[in-house]
Amino acid sequence: MVVGDISQERDLVIIGGGPGGYSAAIRAAQLGVSVTLIEQEKLGGVCLNRGCIPSKVFTYAAKKQSETGHMKELGLFVGETSFNLNKLLSYKSKVTDQLRSGVETLCKANKVEIIKGKAGLIGEDRIGVENGHQFDIYTFKQAIIATGSSPVLPEGCPKNNKRMLLSQEIFDLQELPEHLIVYGHDYISLEVASSFHALGAQVTILLEDTDDFIFDSSITKELNRLLKKKKIKVYKEAKILSAEETEAGIDVRFRTQGKEEDVSGTHLFAAGNRKPNVEDLGLQRFGIEQNVNGFIKIDRNMRTTVPSIYAIGDVTEGPLLAVKAIKQGKAAVESIAGGNPEVDLAFLPTIVHSIPPIASVGLTEQQAQNLGIDLRVNQFALGSNGYAMITGNKDGFIKVVTDASNDIILGIHMIGEGAVELSSTFVQLLEMAAKEEDAKFPAFAHPSMNEALLESVEGLIGQAIHTVPKGKRQKESSLSFIR
Amino acid sequence: MLEVKLHDIGEGMTEGEIIHYLVKPGDRVIADQPLVEVQTDKMVAELPSPGAGTIKEIIISTGTTVAVGTTLLYIEGEGSLEPVSEGKASETPKEEVPVLLKEKNEFVSSFNRVLATPYTRKIARDHHINIEDVTPSDPSGRVTEEDVYRFMKGEQLAEKEAVSTMVEPEFLAKPISPDEIPFRGIRKQIAKKMTKSLFTIPHVTHFDEVNMTNLLKLREELKKEGVHVSVPAFFMKALVFALKDFPVFNAELDEENDRILLKKEYHLGMAVDTKEGLIVPVIHHADKKSIQQIHDEMKCLNEKAKDGKLVAAEIQNSTFTVSNVGPLGSTGATPIINYPETALIAFHKTKKVPIVTENDEIVIGHVMTLSMSFDHRVADGATAVAFTNRFASLIEQPNKLMLEMI
Repeated sequence: MVVGDISQERDLVIIGGGPGGYSAAIRAAQLGVSVTLIEQEKLGGVCLNRGCIPSKVFTYAAKKQSETGHMKELGLFVGETSFNLNKLLSYKSKVTDQLRSGVETLCKANKVEIIKGKAGLIGEDRIGVENGHQFDIYTFKQAIIATGSSPVLPEGCPKNNKRMLLSQEIFDLQELPEHLIVYGHDYISLEVASSFHALGAQVTILLEDTDDFIFDSSITKELNRLLKKKKIKVYKEAKILSAEETEAGIDVRFRTQGKEEDVSGTHLFAAGNRKPNVEDLGLQRFGIEQNVNGFIKIDRNMRTTVPSIYAIGDVTEGPLLAVKAIKQGKAAVESIAGGNPEVDLAFLPTIVHSIPPIASVGLTEQQAQNLGIDLRVNQFALGSNGYAMITGNKDGFIKVVTDASNDIILGIHMIGEGAVELSSTFVQLLEMAAKEEDAKFPAFAHPSMNEALLESVEGLIGQAIHTVPKGKRQKESSLSFIR
Repeated sequence: MLEVKLHDIGEGMTEGEIIHYLVKPGDRVIADQPLVEVQTDKMVAELPSPGAGTIKEIIISTGTTVAVGTTLLYIEGEGSLEPVSEGKASETPKEEVPVLLKEKNEFVSSFNRVLATPYTRKIARDHHINIEDVTPSDPSGRVTEEDVYRFMKGEQLAEKEAVSTMVEPEFLAKPISPDEIPFRGIRKQIAKKMTKSLFTIPHVTHFDEVNMTNLLKLREELKKEGVHVSVPAFFMKALVFALKDFPVFNAELDEENDRILLKKEYHLGMAVDTKEGLIVPVIHHADKKSIQQIHDEMKCLNEKAKDGKLVAAEIQNSTFTVSNVGPLGSTGATPIINYPETALIAFHKTKKVPIVTENDEIVIGHVMTLSMSFDHRVADGATAVAFTNRFASLIEQPNKLMLEMI
């Protein structure tokens, strides 16, 4: 601690300008709280600069690429399609630059003070900010830690290897991999696998540690079928033993379901685990409690074990998703401003921008069964939906799980085009504690993908119009469209 | 900074309701000083302070039910902050961020769902109402805006009515809303436990009669000798012998592992009716105690229960439960088993009735009825009848009790 330094007084100080931090800052300004945002790199954090946004540039480009086949069916011939990665990279930079400057403008317009530098706590009400040779001390009434997380290299993967890529590096890659080996089992692994495949790479998935993907078993089954159809090989229960760089690529030796295998690719992507960015904050000195992996413990008002200090987003326990950070950021500030907010992550949707995309909210059939609930379950194939037929997106289905004793919807799971957009309806239904009738009553646009949701609910009691009744042609009914 | 968390006071306790704080922020406390009263499964317990210091902040408000492990309040350690923080830092070097994460950061979402729309939840939150306390008007459990408002009004109405002493005439014309009794504390715990027992255990109850004439005579004789022993004390002893012969009723069904655990200890619970509700204090090791000891202990536990002075150890680990409702009246009942036990016996009123003797003479005798509920998964009716027959024979000829004594 520097003795005798002059400290500057601030009200609310937010450490970290990612989606959680800047949302909190703007909400604070809206509520009349004087706020200072400290960021050591670029506003927008990992999400905007190196994570969510860049990855979606890739998944979107891949989706467009995958549509070219269907365009020919529509009579739209645009010549031989080719893919220029450099062009996509510059488009990505354009998007992230524009979004970042948008955030900067918003912060400015809201009179959020932005300080560039690296922050560390030096007291329960003081913070030091280092920027080159400059070191300033600020006292604060409250602080919010929103420093995020960083990827951790998985065991068995070499560190100094240009062909070994972590989640923040893969979307900066200068050449399209010829054969990309994807090591992981989360949404980002699936997005990387399906995008790079659509853009022309050969892809092999090493499903890290688990024996299958983590969705409702019907979704997992359909996903495996679609991956197989695309000739993406999936090795389950995989664990990398070694990965060696060669002249032409990277040789990976791994264990899968009890035996050892080798695969050679040009690049290896590892989703890895993530660790909280807390090293230089000095949390322990002030008794801010963390869990075994270092994630900060918070209460329902996002408060840490030190009452003047709050924490939000990836640096705290729970799922590592921007949506959580944004929600917590706003809630923390509302709580500081005297409000009474709540963050309830029970219906946080699981979203994968794969081809086709996946959206899953609430209980899976297996989870509901394990809770001993008497269930009604129905699956409506998108192949039976008129609009899916028009757009050529017939793969997939919507599955609805309800409580048979009181009609209340427990979970909705979708794999298929439109899943991400429809997911907000799923979340809304669950948050409103909707019953089957609440989903069936409204008028749904025709023709549209929305009708698939309507019919998946109607089908719970055998009343979907576009499903062949059970027992008559059961095999050729809606299921036939999936196969 | 010391953190005071709700910890497991009674065995297997998972949550508790904050009844009352004995301290307020700014108060200085010493180690082991009681801080807060918590309503657990069956009793009100006090949480002591883990150390000396000043109460910094109370996190959980009164009336809230929280899970074990929840932080209730913070205490600022004695002296300046520095030593405390330093001590903490040196104690927990292992909590430094590991380079490689040993545990997966997998998020397991707990399905703690509130069946209400976000707006309804906000109304409740803004009025400091735990939405789980609101009784839903919809049988499927969905809480509506109206339910929350009704809950708020209900509370206020009850207060107003308490103040006004006169019922105004026009009041009669208005519809009268029912009186509300808060459904919490021991009452709620009882409800929870009974529901669990009845929904888990397939209950069967059988009824029988016991001729009490000889036992009452024996007790009178003892009284003349200056020895005061209550009838239930004899019951307890006789039950121990009967349970030894039929151990399936002094047992627990461990369904998960497909086994029935026959207990080797005879801890007899005795149901006591108190102002707050039913409490079951336990006579531990009843097999190793004399009838006189059992009598004294029953008396003592009964008084403690009525005064709310039972401690956790006195209400735990019962292996069989006895409900002596006779003094209150009644001739029969279908009692609910004290889960996870396998049986429960209730003793009813003893009446003077004409009895036909072996010599075909009619004499006046004292007969008591009893009801025994048992878990039909572990035992059948015949076993239960044999059990009560054994019990009855010991009571009808109390001399036999002597033969069983070690």
